[in-house]
Amino acid sequence: MTDHTIDLKAAKPRNQWWDVWDQFRTHRGALIGMVIFAVIVLGTLLGPFFWDVDPKFINIRARELGPSLAHPLGTDQLGRDMLARVLAGGRITIAVGMTAMLLSLVLGTLVGVLAGYFRRLDGILMRLTDLFLALPLLPLLLLMVMLFREPLVLSFGPEGGIFILIVFAIGVTSWMHAARIVRGDVLALKEREFVLASRSIGTPARRMILRHILPNVMSPIMVSATLGVANAVITESALSFLGLGFPPDFPTWGRLLNDGLPYINLSPERVIWPALALSALVLSINYIGDGLRDALDPRIRGR
Amino acid sequence: MLDAKPAKPLVTVKDLKMYFPIHTGLFRRHTGDVKAVDGLSFTIFEGETLGLVGESGCGKSTVGRALLRLYELTSGSVTIDGDDIATLSSEELRLKRPAMQMVFQDPQASLNPRMTVAAIIGEPLDEHTDWNAEKKLARVYELMDAVGLNRAFANRYPHAFSGGQRQRIGIARALALNPKFIVCDEPIAALDVSIQAQVVNLLEDLQEKMGLTYLFISHDLSMVRHIADRVAVMYLGRIAELSPREPLYADPLHPYAKALLSAVPDPDPETEGKRQRIILQGDVPSPSNPPKGCNFCTRCPEVIPICREVKPELAEVRPGRFVACHLVTPDNQKAAPGSTGGPEATEHNQQGEPKK
Repeated sequence: MTDHTIDLKAAKPRNQWWDVWDQFRTHRGALIGMVIFAVIVLGTLLGPFFWDVDPKFINIRARELGPSLAHPLGTDQLGRDMLARVLAGGRITIAVGMTAMLLSLVLGTLVGVLAGYFRRLDGILMRLTDLFLALPLLPLLLLMVMLFREPLVLSFGPEGGIFILIVFAIGVTSWMHAARIVRGDVLALKEREFVLASRSIGTPARRMILRHILPNVMSPIMVSATLGVANAVITESALSFLGLGFPPDFPTWGRLLNDGLPYINLSPERVIWPALALSALVLSINYIGDGLRDALDPRIRGR
Repeated sequence: MLDAKPAKPLVTVKDLKMYFPIHTGLFRRHTGDVKAVDGLSFTIFEGETLGLVGESGCGKSTVGRALLRLYELTSGSVTIDGDDIATLSSEELRLKRPAMQMVFQDPQASLNPRMTVAAIIGEPLDEHTDWNAEKKLARVYELMDAVGLNRAFANRYPHAFSGGQRQRIGIARALALNPKFIVCDEPIAALDVSIQAQVVNLLEDLQEKMGLTYLFISHDLSMVRHIADRVAVMYLGRIAELSPREPLYADPLHPYAKALLSAVPDPDPETEGKRQRIILQGDVPSPSNPPKGCNFCTRCPEVIPICREVKPELAEVRPGRFVACHLVTPDNQKAAPGSTGGPEATEHNQQGEPKK
């Protein structure tokens, strides 16, 4: 309050991302989640360099083995090393989950903000959302895979093509809830006085949305993002299960789960390991999202 | 009062109408309008404070917002400093915005909770200047000094402030671009009394220093008496009386102004004991379906038949005093001393007097 403290503090407003980080650090769950997430990501990225067993190598003589030094997580019914498969599968699962979540988030936020902010677009965009909500998901996915698989595989290679297809399919079929939630929030925000104040300053719509609307709808976006990852991973495994996703020998966590399911009585660890990895991933992302949401809200910050 | 001011009009409002459409039924047909503001004309002179009073829902805030074209006007013109706000294109309007700013009623709601004080005050600068960050920051600090905020608060968020401090932030934001005209939309209604005085004094100081012109919207009649040079009394979307402050408070001419001002408590217990309130009967008619004649005819204690047929126009009945009432005519100059208004007004002081 005295003059010399003013001079010290007033030199330059501190970058507010430091405040966000400070608050984030106080959220224990978020920190643990971040560590777990980092371990999973680093493990799946770097793991194959240390455990250089080919996840697709079939050794029919070593099938359905329990844990041993040669195969720490055992082998599956074709004698493929489970550890190698979990590591390789994680990479693609995380990539699909995150990218599909991002795509659906961007789409949902865009549609929601446009529909909520611009009255003229509201009707048409919301009817579009209803349309997508009413579409039966699986038949649509089947159709998309059938139509676009060949051309995509031809231009991006078998794995890249399928990856793009799956991410796109999941992304465009899961943005609707986010859009609805965001629209509702934008409608309420738009009538708040600070938006009016900004209009009286002469802020154009584009900057109004970026400066006032988006930061204030962060919370619901964060929540739907964290839920979206889990949703994307599960949809991907369902697609793989139907034989529409990645090729059968190509491991993803969802596929490992489905493959292990018939053998759950004989060797439950074949289900347990990928399921554990999947749960840890989804849970850690949920906690990170939770912490981030709190940290981004200045009203909670500093408590 | 009047002669002390330069008589150059800064804001001229002509026949301002602001209707909000009502859509009903399955097909959302346009079935009527809420006539929030129905034909308002007035002038605000440079450097003066025009008080705008009236009960809840009479359209005060709508007038304030329409003046800055935060709503698209239904009809009429608003000339601020030579430009008709109502017809400017959006880009011209954007460039015109710095000249006119607004202070809002609820200081909590008018500040973005996710922006720091520096960012909030600096927002107008971001929009209308191409200064670098240092220059903007210097200006933000200057403004914070001007409204009496500690510079060390620049990096805090609105939730960390009290109501009075938040209102200061709002005022600093309105001042950022050196406006000429500021609409104060009930700036003190959400504050408690000790803080109200601070904020009002701040507004007065700033007016003196920067030569600002205010439209001061309020339902706090004593506060308006304190700050305003002239006062417009609104009823149901129309101006009932527009007079300089002292004559209005001493001798209101319009029956509604009389009733409204009779509600002002007097700090002197002697006179307060003698104060006779005019209690109006009934409710304000719906603005979607105002009476055919004078808007006040359903509740006026002095109503005469012509009131129910013809809408009175706002006319200058005394020098500088404009009244919209059939009972108050320009030639009718002989207001009885002690009484409040024309000679017809003999029995209006009886409380709860039945009418019609």
